[in-house]
Amino acid sequence: MSANSADESSVPFERTEEFRLLRMLHNIGATKPEKSLSIPEILEWTGLEPSTIETELQKLAEQGFVQPAESGGTNKYHVTLSGMRKVLSMYS
Amino acid sequence: MATWEFPPRIVGGIARHCDGLSKALAHNGHEVHVVTLDFPGAPEFEEIDGVKVYRAATELGHPNFLTWALLFNHFMEKKIAGVSRKADFDVVHVHDWLTAFAGISFKHQMGRPLVATIHGTEVGRAQGLHNPDSFTIDGLEWWTTYEANRIIVTSGSMKAEIQGHFHPPPEKIEIIPNGIDPRKYNAPVDRSAVRGRYGVSPHEKLVLCVGRLVPQKGIEYLIGAVPMIAQRCPETKFIIVGEGWLRSHLERVARSTGHQWRITFTGWIPDHELTALLNSADVLVVPSIYEPFGIVALEGMAAGIPVVASNLGGLAEIVEHDRTGILAYSRNPDSIAWAIDRVLSDRGHSEWLVRNAREMVQKTYSWEAIAMRTAEVYEEVVG
Repeated sequence: MSANSADESSVPFERTEEFRLLRMLHNIGATKPEKSLSIPEILEWTGLEPSTIETELQKLAEQGFVQPAESGGTNKYHVTLSGMRKVLSMYS
Repeated sequence: MATWEFPPRIVGGIARHCDGLSKALAHNGHEVHVVTLDFPGAPEFEEIDGVKVYRAATELGHPNFLTWALLFNHFMEKKIAGVSRKADFDVVHVHDWLTAFAGISFKHQMGRPLVATIHGTEVGRAQGLHNPDSFTIDGLEWWTTYEANRIIVTSGSMKAEIQGHFHPPPEKIEIIPNGIDPRKYNAPVDRSAVRGRYGVSPHEKLVLCVGRLVPQKGIEYLIGAVPMIAQRCPETKFIIVGEGWLRSHLERVARSTGHQWRITFTGWIPDHELTALLNSADVLVVPSIYEPFGIVALEGMAAGIPVVASNLGGLAEIVEHDRTGILAYSRNPDSIAWAIDRVLSDRGHSEWLVRNAREMVQKTYSWEAIAMRTAEVYEEVVG
């Protein structure tokens, strides 16, 4: 196995929809439970399709980068500390 | 001092740099105020070892990173303006382009000199400028070097990179290396217990790698070396500490080697756990493909483990090949495997490397010495 062959085997996380969504959630400030956003609110900010948002949020939650929480009968989401580190690693 | 990361907001080396430098400056009798960004669980204001730390809340966001950076700089400016009504600053010191907006505003509004430490460049981090955001960040970095009264870089290679890319007057650039507190790494550690937490037996060799999981850290080349190391030294395990956007890709690379059971990705871990791991490993590998300094190499040396590092950038200035560590060719799994084997297979030589490295770290890279050199730069710009 060479590192170069591994390079070609997959799409880097940076270019995936889930990372794009995670980065946007971070940048719009959904980084604390009290700043959690619902799917319609995320849609307003990002312009992504609701079904894309739902799918990608589920993936991010499974990886521990996003924390879902129910608030007033609505599911809301915010970026976890681990998710913040993931995003900020791009720029430091 | 303005920085976008400061403990507990730790992303890369800048947080540790600002933490060590600000505390050492305060210890040397300077009044130090750090303005940084808020972080869940961290107070808006605290005083730590004589350093006053203010955390600015970013009250407005934006999906675009650059717009977000402009916005958080605005909130940092407001915080600095508030603090400067109570404290008479002589100089403002920013770290990288990320807080340059706030620092440059302060410079012009208050008529005080600006010092900028450039820890890395976009063109180096991204290995080129590949998108509009990268071009903008590159422009902002140039602007930072233009506006700064003095530029501090942490290595000779970084000085050459800044001069070659941004063309500031050479006399404007000062090389002051990163530092560490060697005492922090001498704490007694129960190696068996620490290894046990990660499934590593006392008789197995433990190869440690610490860094953000991003391309510049070259971690996939270490993973590429795993089968070769396993062939030469079958009882070896690998622990990769850090978080980053490349993680899932690196985990796939690890699976593709067929040796994934030897490789543990810990994600981000707190400082005390990192120190315990450094004290429990047999070798630290720093396989970067771009590294303006490489503070983790110093941490390994201070903890008393042999260091294998890429022969480039700041690492080649820290590590003297075959005297304070082993240098390997970057992007080269064969060379990395050779270097790790050199350390693991000759215990006497490893111990000699460790002794030399520890002595060098204590002499050259203490925060006290680095703070004194930084204060000299402040005095020069204040006039």
